[in-house]
Amino acid sequence: MTMQETEERGGRGTEKLMTGTQAVAQAVRLADVDVTAAYPIRPYDGVMQAVAKLIADGDLDAEYIVAEGEHSQFEICKHASAVGSRVFVGSSGVGWMYAMESLAVTPSLRLPVVAMIGNRALDDPGAFGVEHNDAMSVRDLGWQLNWVENAQECFDATLMAYRVAEDSRVSFPVGIGVDGAFITHSQTLIKIPDQEMVDEFLPPYDLGDRLLHPDNPISIAPQANEDWVMEIRKQTDDAAKRVKGVIQEAHDDFKRIFGRGGDNPFFEEYMTEDAEYVLFGMGSLSLPAKVMVRRLRDQGEKVGFVRLKWFRPFPTEEMVEVLTRFKAVGIVDRDYSYGSPKQGGVLFTDLRAALYDAEVRPRLVNFIGGLGGRELTPEMMDDMADTTKRAAAGEDVPTVRWIGVRE
Amino acid sequence: MTMAPGRALQLDPIKSIKKAPEEEYYQSGHRTCQGCLSALPMRLMAKAAGPRTIVLGTTGCMYVANTTYMSTPWVVPWMHTQLGAAGSAALGTSAGLKALMRKGKIKDEPINVIAFCGDGGGADMGLAAISAALTDVEYNLLIFLYDNESYANTDIQTSGQTPWGAVTTFSPPGKKHRIMQRRWKKNVPGMLAAGHPDTKYIASGTPAIPVDMMDKVRAALSAGGPTYVHVLDPCPKGWHYDPEHSTELGKLAIETGIYPLYEIKEGVCNFTGTTRQIAQGRRERKPVREYLEKQGRFAHFKNQDFAYFQKKIDEMWEQWIIPGVIAFSYGGPINITSEKATVRNNNVERDNASWAGERPGHAHEELEGDGGLDREWRDDNMMGDPSSGN
Amino acid sequence: MTTGREAGDALPADQDTQQGHTSTEVREEAKSVEFTYRGIFQKTLAANLCKHVVMAARKREWLGSTIQRYSDSPERNGIPAKQFAVIAPDTETLEGHMAKYEPNELDVITCLDDTMADGIESWAWYGRQPINVRLRRGGTLLVISNRSKEELLRIIPQKPWDWTLAILPGTPSLAGLWVYRDDGTDMRVLGAIASSRPDIFEMSEIEAVIRDDDALGDDYIAALKSGHDEVVVHEIKAGEGAEDTYEPVKLPGYKEMREAIIVPAVKVGEKNPNYRTSSDRTMRPVVNFDTCIKCRQCWIDCPDECFDITDEELHPINYNYCTGCGICAQVCPVEDCIVMVNDLEFVEEGDKDMFPLYKEDRDSYQEWREEKIEKGRIQHHDYFNADTWAWAGSGQAENTPDRNDRTARNS
Repeated sequence: MTMQETEERGGRGTEKLMTGTQAVAQAVRLADVDVTAAYPIRPYDGVMQAVAKLIADGDLDAEYIVAEGEHSQFEICKHASAVGSRVFVGSSGVGWMYAMESLAVTPSLRLPVVAMIGNRALDDPGAFGVEHNDAMSVRDLGWQLNWVENAQECFDATLMAYRVAEDSRVSFPVGIGVDGAFITHSQTLIKIPDQEMVDEFLPPYDLGDRLLHPDNPISIAPQANEDWVMEIRKQTDDAAKRVKGVIQEAHDDFKRIFGRGGDNPFFEEYMTEDAEYVLFGMGSLSLPAKVMVRRLRDQGEKVGFVRLKWFRPFPTEEMVEVLTRFKAVGIVDRDYSYGSPKQGGVLFTDLRAALYDAEVRPRLVNFIGGLGGRELTPEMMDDMADTTKRAAAGEDVPTVRWIGVRE
Repeated sequence: MTMAPGRALQLDPIKSIKKAPEEEYYQSGHRTCQGCLSALPMRLMAKAAGPRTIVLGTTGCMYVANTTYMSTPWVVPWMHTQLGAAGSAALGTSAGLKALMRKGKIKDEPINVIAFCGDGGGADMGLAAISAALTDVEYNLLIFLYDNESYANTDIQTSGQTPWGAVTTFSPPGKKHRIMQRRWKKNVPGMLAAGHPDTKYIASGTPAIPVDMMDKVRAALSAGGPTYVHVLDPCPKGWHYDPEHSTELGKLAIETGIYPLYEIKEGVCNFTGTTRQIAQGRRERKPVREYLEKQGRFAHFKNQDFAYFQKKIDEMWEQWIIPGVIAFSYGGPINITSEKATVRNNNVERDNASWAGERPGHAHEELEGDGGLDREWRDDNMMGDPSSGN
Repeated sequence: MTTGREAGDALPADQDTQQGHTSTEVREEAKSVEFTYRGIFQKTLAANLCKHVVMAARKREWLGSTIQRYSDSPERNGIPAKQFAVIAPDTETLEGHMAKYEPNELDVITCLDDTMADGIESWAWYGRQPINVRLRRGGTLLVISNRSKEELLRIIPQKPWDWTLAILPGTPSLAGLWVYRDDGTDMRVLGAIASSRPDIFEMSEIEAVIRDDDALGDDYIAALKSGHDEVVVHEIKAGEGAEDTYEPVKLPGYKEMREAIIVPAVKVGEKNPNYRTSSDRTMRPVVNFDTCIKCRQCWIDCPDECFDITDEELHPINYNYCTGCGICAQVCPVEDCIVMVNDLEFVEEGDKDMFPLYKEDRDSYQEWREEKIEKGRIQHHDYFNADTWAWAGSGQAENTPDRNDRTARNS
């Protein structure tokens, strides 16, 4: 079978039916995670339930601690990581926010904690459907963040996360955004590779001379005054710039071993070859978007869709190269950013910044939709495509529009 | 016979100053106040624990004063953790080591895990995490709370351990209110002991009585499972007294009965030192005024304030079922421990209990599985999985 | 004098200060006044003084600001700290001196405890900085001291230009956070500044401020005048004073620093090489090794790990790190086995370990020891300055009606 054929058949591995959270749990098992801490909040906690079962059945040998709150949950994993344990942790919505202090300090400590965020709307009101603001809230702090489209990617992204996070040139925590309900709670058929393949891809976790152990006397993170913090942050900045290269390397390896992963690790282009305008977004909204693209293509429209996978590091050069081919880009934000420069969403604001220096810039329009778990339908995608098309044609359209709100 | 991975390090009691180990594992060159009796416990704790130790230090005086980048006074490995994270840092560190040892990824040997916190970070913000750590009996760890009765590092604010009436920057006396701090100090070691019956060791000490404190640290580290030691630290900055009187004030706190020394070891509660003499009636409690009037933080007290404070301490000694430890009166029916106190935790045997620390029968093999189920447990997670035969 | 432009240094010798003017030459420039003090013990005193400088300058329509040096915080008992008052004729000039941790150079440095005159080490990596490290050309160092000019110049480093040393007779006024030591020191210092540096504020200006405050009575004016009259100002020539051996700190760059905020631990048997706590001391313990009963109480109770244990089971003290807290002298069961002595009696010795002298020549050691005690013995301190009564929080310039009512607490 050729690589393409393998890829089309979903890559190498045994076929299983499972939810996104269960898929992550399988990757946790194959990665031989050592310590995990759980705290209940929907919709991520299916992964912790699945991991518990794996341990109970003897399929995974790991310490499983039920914390008394998310702050502790993440602190437990951060410290287990510091003594050399591979860890897994996760949360959703305000649970993730409750851990915020721990989230803030983990990247500065350069600890490769891997976390799954079952994306969920932030309170208030308490709402349980998908929004991306929870994971996005750590985007400035050094967390590497990527979003998945389906259960297979949940599995794949988890293995990639360990590989990238633990690389000594990186050593940052990695967060995987998994849309609540649509990916966390629906089962699809995925390929699970065997242990041998995973071992070839994922080396053991080795902190070297950063390991906290009596044989290696060090002090980690004394308090620092204004003489030192610039330099400490610069080290982090230099490391952050190395992440893209490491992701690319890891991706090439992943494709070779597992037979899937797409052309590049950072984003997916869907029917964009001769497109005049495209929609752009992250996560499961890509599914109705792709339905829309196929439908409109059938009608002769030159439309495509670009799905961003890695949000941090933001693949600026690649985005510029790809998006400047189009006359207009309609960015679908499943998040909000009140009071931001154009009062658009986070992706939109970031993309505008990324494209600012390009010689030829596409028109950018923004759609805020799907908040709090509201479905984004192919019909809504049609509507957004239409606006984007009119923008491409030079028409006057609102820069930011909220989709599907009852007036 | 192989022992449970991550078993407790066995350390003998020190018993006298002359027998205290001479090596220092926390050394000179820390930016603490003159006469800081929160620094002394760091030194004594590290001395008692020895080199096979990992220390996690929460934010507070003992973080900011001690460890100033790019330097450190610690000889043993040390890592910063967050203000309310002593419990979770200790748990994570201990669980991390245990997993690696069990899985053969690092050498299986006893390593002390100690997380220290101040009264602000521990008794207030981090209390829930400490409680959680104390319930997780599979992990060896010591949570060491240094109590200087304020949030000291932020220049002295009220914490749940600040004594009634004390001046802090959040409780200054003024024209309308003389007493701004009107909460009575909550009883943390007693609370934790009462609420976590499965822990094997909880104690209250002070660096003013150094050998007793070090022996309590050693007893905690050797006990196995999660443990807690609380020490009272006179603080010249926050309490406003001349630093040379630190040791003396620590002793006075005990001699007045305000701060009791005790330990709860495997379910048996005993007072130690001077507190024991007071409990046995062999020594009178000194009046609380003798202690309070030596500190500037009580300089605004009037006779009525001293009287109130005295009454509360008298009440503690006369009406609590165990003074300083358990704050209830008890009217019977009597099932109070008989004359000979029975050691708990040895009475209830559990087959193949997964327990940290050295106990016969708790070996690697046991932790591999306690038997498991006879039949398949099916739940949502398994439904529809082709491989499970549904 | 080797100075550079790294953080913590004074301006280089060849670079003139503020448009070529010395400190007293032009009155219409901004002026910066520093108060160097014992952390916590003199915190409120320093704050009070800073405030009064600004209030006095206000009398001639100037603007001012006080700065608490943030890098000192949180303050610790005994660790030298600084607060500043900056005054300027107008807003624009004042702004040039704001948004910084400390002024680049000082017109007046006031040392509120003369045991800091031999240098201060406020935090790690900077070493022991001279008391006058940032003095402006022609500036004034004002020291509260009963020592002579000659004694002080043995420990205060020279400058390559002229300056003045003002000595206000007195002992350091040490208090704590909650109860202010209302002993007139603040007034005396203000009077001394008015006398030695009328360009900062004149006597009439500061007197007007004090009279404005109803809570302050005649005894405050008297104290103000006594400071004014008793301060002695000495002209110090370039090159006069101790040798300046201070090496400005060289901080490593980010490529040399280990990643992930990691610092190597102290090696077994060693101490933290980057921070010595010896400049915290106002007094130091002197040991009579002959009467020591080897109980180890001093060794175990020292919060700074300063006592060694020799083969003879004796306990010499590491003066590089001793902070002079006095606990050892208190806990030692043998009378006068450990005696606290004023730290300025040890200029010759510096931080040197004196135990080798004892081992080599017991009699000489005892002679040395007795001489030190004779000259500078410090008696045990009271618990706190209960003899004075003025709420630290409310400060001097505000109403504290209970201030003089010492009977109130006994009702």
